[in-house]
Amino acid sequence: MITLRHQIELESIFLISIVAALSLFFVVQRNNQGVSVPIVSVDSPLPMESPEQNIFSQISPDGTKEVIMKIIRNEDDTQTHSFFTTDTSGANEKYIFTRTLEKEANMTIPYNTWSSNNQYFFIQENAKEGTNIFAFKASGEAFSDTEQYFDVTGLFKKKDTGNNFSEATGWASESLIIINTTKEDGTKGPSYWFEIPSKAIIQLSTEF
Amino acid sequence: MYKCVYNSKGMSYKKIKKNRQSVGYYLKIYFISVFVSLAIFTVGSFFKPQFSCANSATCISDLSINVDNNAVGIFQGRKVIPPKVDLAQAISESSVLGVRVSNSEKHIYIDLSTQTLYAYEGKTQIMKTLISSGKWGRTPVGNFNIWLKLPVTRMAGGQGADAYNLPNVQWVMYFYRDFGTHTAYWHNNFGHEMSHGCINMRLIDSRELYAWADGPSSESRGTPVSVCDQFKEPGTCIQKNPII
Repeated sequence: MITLRHQIELESIFLISIVAALSLFFVVQRNNQGVSVPIVSVDSPLPMESPEQNIFSQISPDGTKEVIMKIIRNEDDTQTHSFFTTDTSGANEKYIFTRTLEKEANMTIPYNTWSSNNQYFFIQENAKEGTNIFAFKASGEAFSDTEQYFDVTGLFKKKDTGNNFSEATGWASESLIIINTTKEDGTKGPSYWFEIPSKAIIQLSTEF
Repeated sequence: MYKCVYNSKGMSYKKIKKNRQSVGYYLKIYFISVFVSLAIFTVGSFFKPQFSCANSATCISDLSINVDNNAVGIFQGRKVIPPKVDLAQAISESSVLGVRVSNSEKHIYIDLSTQTLYAYEGKTQIMKTLISSGKWGRTPVGNFNIWLKLPVTRMAGGQGADAYNLPNVQWVMYFYRDFGTHTAYWHNNFGHEMSHGCINMRLIDSRELYAWADGPSSESRGTPVSVCDQFKEPGTCIQKNPII
């Protein structure tokens, strides 16, 4: 009889536990359930783009400076990319850099090109071999007698971190470029800071 | 619990009695289970993710206009030089920018999946720009209204290596507690999560948005702000577990 009583009690506890677990499951599901909230119906106009533009620019976050890229198509099908910085008023234009590339390659000014204090900017080269990032002083001055700019991707490869450069997303501060990487197996690797002007490469615990 | 009952022939009803007790017992268990599940469901519904503060050090004490042109900021363990702010000039500049294009209802939408902010007047898109939402603290998803506008303030919080102190944060519009849109002068990584829960914007965008959006008045609430997990297409704001 004692055994039977214990058995019934155990069954009861088991049943209540199952019901409690099910309730928990449903309540968690409900709390995480996605709901579609209807909001004002709006049209989403596509951004206007002109396919034949040969001048591109990117304004600094505070709206005071611009990086300008002028592209000239040469007769041999190569393209010459020239970079300038200027105040948004048009004053203080500084010549920065020129590079001529085969037609398969190009250069772009990333959205987050400017450092947060407008002292530096970086540009991106998209070639068959991969992406290259070059960082410059906005003033047009060289970093040293031998370095007009920093080849960020080249320096990152030299560091041999065991991870492959993936992208430079922007600036974490006035002097830190954020670098994302991939591991050898193709999965996302850790993020790094590339510090200017020290050229230090710092691995982060946070992934960007 | 189990009584032995005998009939006139002295035979035991024990088995029948036991079965009757079991049914009653299970009925009792059934009602207890129903009660427990209802209790868990009801109580559990109140345990949604809680959002207290975006800026733990200033969220209650410092929700006010604050200009400090001599202070040095700290972010990610690095010193940051805040921009000098001329409050009177800033306010007059922003009022020039605050031009309406129609009389339709204003609405701000934030798409966390693409890190993009949209501003609309009715069906007219006024602004579309990249932002940085919460990385070290979650941005609350839901439907809110701007409840306080501050042209400049100080934001501070975090602990240890994550501690930050940022004077002269401009164009702040709080929409839920101290979660709001504002300028982030300390980084330029828009389009990627980079905040403690607020919506970081470029100065040029936050100034324009501040000038355009309305704070609360005696007649109406502030401009609505919908934070969406996904702003998939016009008319739909996907929100998982919205807090409001």
